[in-house]
Amino acid sequence: MLEIDGISKRFGSTVALDGMTFTVRPGELYGFVGANGAGKTTTMRIALGVLAADAGEVRLEGRALDAASRRRIGYMPEERGLYPRMAVGTQLRYLAELRGRSAADAREAADRWTERLGIADRRGDEVQRLSLGNQQRVQLAAALVAEPEVLVLDEPFSGLDPMAVDVMGEVLRERCDAGAPVVFSSHQLELVERLCDRVGIVRAGRLVAEGTVDDLRSASATELVVAAPHAPEGWAEVLPGVAATRSAESGLVLTLADGSEETITAVLDAARRTGPVHEFRRRRPALAEIYRDTVADRSAGVAA
Amino acid sequence: MIGSLRPVGLIARREFVARVRGRAFLLSTVAVLVLLGVYAAVVATIASSEDTARVGVVGPATALTGPIQRAAPTEGLMVAVVMQPDVAAGEAAVRAGDLDALVSGEPTRPRVYVESEPEADLERTLVDATSSLARDAYLTGQGVDPGALDAAVGESGPVVIAAEPPDPQAGVRLGLGLGGAFLLFFSIQTYGAMVAQGVVEEKASRVVEIVLSSVRPWQLLLGKVLGLGGVGLLQLVVLGGAGLAVAAVAGVLTAGAGLVSTIVSVVVWYLLGFALYATVFAAAGSLVSRQEDTQSVLSPITVTVLLGFVVGFNLLTSDPRGTAITVISLLPPFSPLFMPARVALGVAPVGQVVLAFALTLAFTAVVLALGGKIYANSVLRTGARVSLREALGRART
Repeated sequence: MLEIDGISKRFGSTVALDGMTFTVRPGELYGFVGANGAGKTTTMRIALGVLAADAGEVRLEGRALDAASRRRIGYMPEERGLYPRMAVGTQLRYLAELRGRSAADAREAADRWTERLGIADRRGDEVQRLSLGNQQRVQLAAALVAEPEVLVLDEPFSGLDPMAVDVMGEVLRERCDAGAPVVFSSHQLELVERLCDRVGIVRAGRLVAEGTVDDLRSASATELVVAAPHAPEGWAEVLPGVAATRSAESGLVLTLADGSEETITAVLDAARRTGPVHEFRRRRPALAEIYRDTVADRSAGVAA
Repeated sequence: MIGSLRPVGLIARREFVARVRGRAFLLSTVAVLVLLGVYAAVVATIASSEDTARVGVVGPATALTGPIQRAAPTEGLMVAVVMQPDVAAGEAAVRAGDLDALVSGEPTRPRVYVESEPEADLERTLVDATSSLARDAYLTGQGVDPGALDAAVGESGPVVIAAEPPDPQAGVRLGLGLGGAFLLFFSIQTYGAMVAQGVVEEKASRVVEIVLSSVRPWQLLLGKVLGLGGVGLLQLVVLGGAGLAVAAVAGVLTAGAGLVSTIVSVVVWYLLGFALYATVFAAAGSLVSRQEDTQSVLSPITVTVLLGFVVGFNLLTSDPRGTAITVISLLPPFSPLFMPARVALGVAPVGQVVLAFALTLAFTAVVLALGGKIYANSVLRTGARVSLREALGRART
């Protein structure tokens, strides 16, 4: 279990993190989303000890992280980096050994991961001779080669081709199923929605919403999609319990002030009175919409 | 402690292997070896060219043969006197460069034929020869035996008792000292700059973030300094060994001229000096994020070292016992360059060596603490150059 507990960090007069708190459980894939500059990278760098926090603590299995326990974390920094003039295989073995693996383990793991990621035939090549896509694969191998018990990955999907995205997704799921806490940040929200068990939305250095995608959905306003082709213009605005309407998707999207059965039944009855109803369903907002609403809400709150 | 030293060993090994296999190491070693060879060849040529002056004699001047041969050693000249069949043949030999001078005519007032002008020591030798011939003739005319006079004069002369007899090995010692100082300067400049380049390369390629999520900054810094210091030491041994071998073959070097103590002191001072300079270079390198900016932070250091080296080197050759070089060799940043040279020259009292060593050790400790702090504070900061004030601020825990 990886616990980020009340981390704060300032850079000069800029507050980068303000009491950032969340927990990634064993076997859980945690998606970390937020705008650029919201504090995702800073959080991860602090977790890896690359940056010092002004306040707060990062714990692994209940104990504050130290140099030894950090070596059990596989890390992919946002700023990708490898030794450009070092061969792929040598480099992976070196990085594994730096994290405390024996020479034999390191060799075995480097061979296995280059095989798995489809770069086995490039083991002897200098990293700078590889294409950017292949360098990304080496970067992922570098995060995995020390057989980490925890994975912290900053934007692991950026710059990957669709094939590599699939492999990356598989690998993350696999590590989770093996019981590792895995946290990654991403701007690709549909990927986060598809892959993650839980999602944390970060804004201005704080976690503003957290939960499974379903949790986040039920916390947001209920929306109905109604397709009633003979309904007159503005039929829905006047209904009790309807806060807003907009034309979208295959019909009219109604945002309800409350998601109670009575309100929904009343809307259905009203729709049927206008003629045939081709479609009537609860709308499942995408994570991207929840994210936008969450971040917008907070901005409004701050402005007020 | 063992656990925290393994990464240091791994890092040192990586740096060592990467550099020794690299082309730069091979090229710089070969380049210096070639320079050394050329230098030895030039010295050998100069030495052999001033061996023997060839003087041709013809006619009555043949009588000068003995006096010339006796006079030459007192002028520090080796001379070969060659009989010539006639003046024309002798003059042709001078023009052809086979003879340095042709002496003909009246022995006490001979005609000396040379290419352009006689060498000063050859001219003095000829003056000595003619005047001794004239003196002998005069003495014989006065009824005095010139041989008896020479014998009486030969027995006279002062007996010099030196409080500190000059070291017959002084030349060898100077060579060892200067060679050692040069090698130390070369190694420290070259490998110190390599440490800085390595630091900047890690920053520029951002790999430093991955490495520092595995090891502490001090481990990375120490591993780097040890690895590159090892490469420098290897090169120092190869070059120093080659230099000594050349000297030994040339017959310049004889065992016992403070050879062992010089080698030991060069190695010990190299280790200390490298730790000192490499830390400074690493700290400087950590301030910038791009290779292009490296030179701007390194030049103040390299120029300081270069100036100190040039001044000290000149003092060392002109006045190795002087106050100025004594002071310079006691100042920590320069002790590693000049103390071994003064030890080789045999002009450094044990007290001064110990003092310089203690001062350098203390200075290095301060530099390590400050440099380590600057490095730890700036190595992860990318973008604009980090100011020293920022770098010396709060260290990360």
